[in-house]
Amino acid sequence: MAAPTDTSQPRLAIGCRWGPTAQSGKEETRMILFPEGAIKLQGTGKLVLERCDGNRTFGEIIAELKREFGKTDPEKIRADISMFLEQLQTKRIVDY
Amino acid sequence: MSFSPLALIAEVTHRCPLHCVYCSNPMQLASTSNELSTEEWTGVFQQGGKLGMLHAHFTGGEPLARADLTELIATARAAGLYTNLITSGIGLNEPRLQSLIDAGLDHIQISFQDSREDAANWIAGAKAHAHKIELSRAIRRHKIAFTVNLVVHRQNLDHLEEMIAFIEQLHPERVEIAHTQYYGWALANRTALMPTRAQLEKAVAVIADAEKRFSGKMRIDSVVPDYYAKYPKACMGGWGRRLMLVNPSGKVLPCHAAEVLPGLSFVNVREKSLDWIWQESDSFRKFRGEDWMPEPCRSCERRTEDFGGCRCQAFLLTGDANVTDPACSLAPSHHLVDAAVYEANAGAEIAQPTPSSSLVKLQKQTADLWRYRTNPE
Repeated sequence: MAAPTDTSQPRLAIGCRWGPTAQSGKEETRMILFPEGAIKLQGTGKLVLERCDGNRTFGEIIAELKREFGKTDPEKIRADISMFLEQLQTKRIVDY
Repeated sequence: MSFSPLALIAEVTHRCPLHCVYCSNPMQLASTSNELSTEEWTGVFQQGGKLGMLHAHFTGGEPLARADLTELIATARAAGLYTNLITSGIGLNEPRLQSLIDAGLDHIQISFQDSREDAANWIAGAKAHAHKIELSRAIRRHKIAFTVNLVVHRQNLDHLEEMIAFIEQLHPERVEIAHTQYYGWALANRTALMPTRAQLEKAVAVIADAEKRFSGKMRIDSVVPDYYAKYPKACMGGWGRRLMLVNPSGKVLPCHAAEVLPGLSFVNVREKSLDWIWQESDSFRKFRGEDWMPEPCRSCERRTEDFGGCRCQAFLLTGDANVTDPACSLAPSHHLVDAAVYEANAGAEIAQPTPSSSLVKLQKQTADLWRYRTNPE
């Protein structure tokens, strides 16, 4: 399965939705629920998936996160997020 | 003890229009007259939500046999739970499906017995296959997540490729290929259900190939059956660690089969809260953690992964629920599983019922092969 392109519009796959929010130390964690389980998200993963709303394009999400993480190598941000979304797509948690 | 329960398995009824020979329900079924009421189930879901549970898995029997299912789904969803309906589809039509979705149903799982109609009906002991296909098509006309569950065993593994191709054209997001597990009805029918090693090895290859082909499109979940594995399964993710099962009459169990275990009494939600049962009841504490473990589990580094395996399987095969699961290759009682595997591979024939449109005829041909699941009083 291919990685997302700049014009892909990632979204939570059918049957996946946000669950409860919790506080873990200083950081807020959120769950994504799917048929056979759940994943807990925090940090960058949470920032990425909160932007996967089916409207923003992959290109826009990357641009937003680059602003968030000004110091990090932009190519690395792109590669990491692309791989993250591709893995979640294989698990049927994200579609694009 | 810092575990909190993650999911509720709501066995809302033991009534079922199917009679599958490997049913996971206990052989002693909960009676219809004693089923929890709508209000009682509502209370259960609300307690589950407060306890921080994430999922409510509606199962049975056939959950659709409850006339109040839509209301139950709505109350579970209102309690903050992800709602999953595990069903044969019998009793569901498009309007009822729509009302379940409107009530907040998140996901539906339909089980298929086979890709071939006569074989599927023969295994289920009911003419259900054609309806399931029709219903799967209806599900795809709605916006709801869909899993197809396929139970595989000695009588159908030889055409697994055909079954996967059949499922592909139903277009689910996910396929669960489940080997029969030998408790209750399936244990009684084990000789007829246990695959040969050759069947299993071929299945592993077929599934690996399908996973590759469908990657990103259709997810395939499967596990190697424990009789052929080196180590036991982490049954229910560990006793009293993740799950609570509420049976039709309100008894709260750590797993589907736990009622077979002698000397344990299971508390009813009509008497105590889910929280109390989870924290305080003897039955949930009995095999939680490591204190109960015998050798070789106690000093085994895998004890935090498989938790000593399945207590019910230990009891059903050895007569003692306190020993290592015999499915473990390190278990002193592993010869019991070896003997069953040996028998399964000793050349006993695989029943090949002649294709026949008559379910009655097929059942007659194989009357000595297995016992069908009955219905509760």
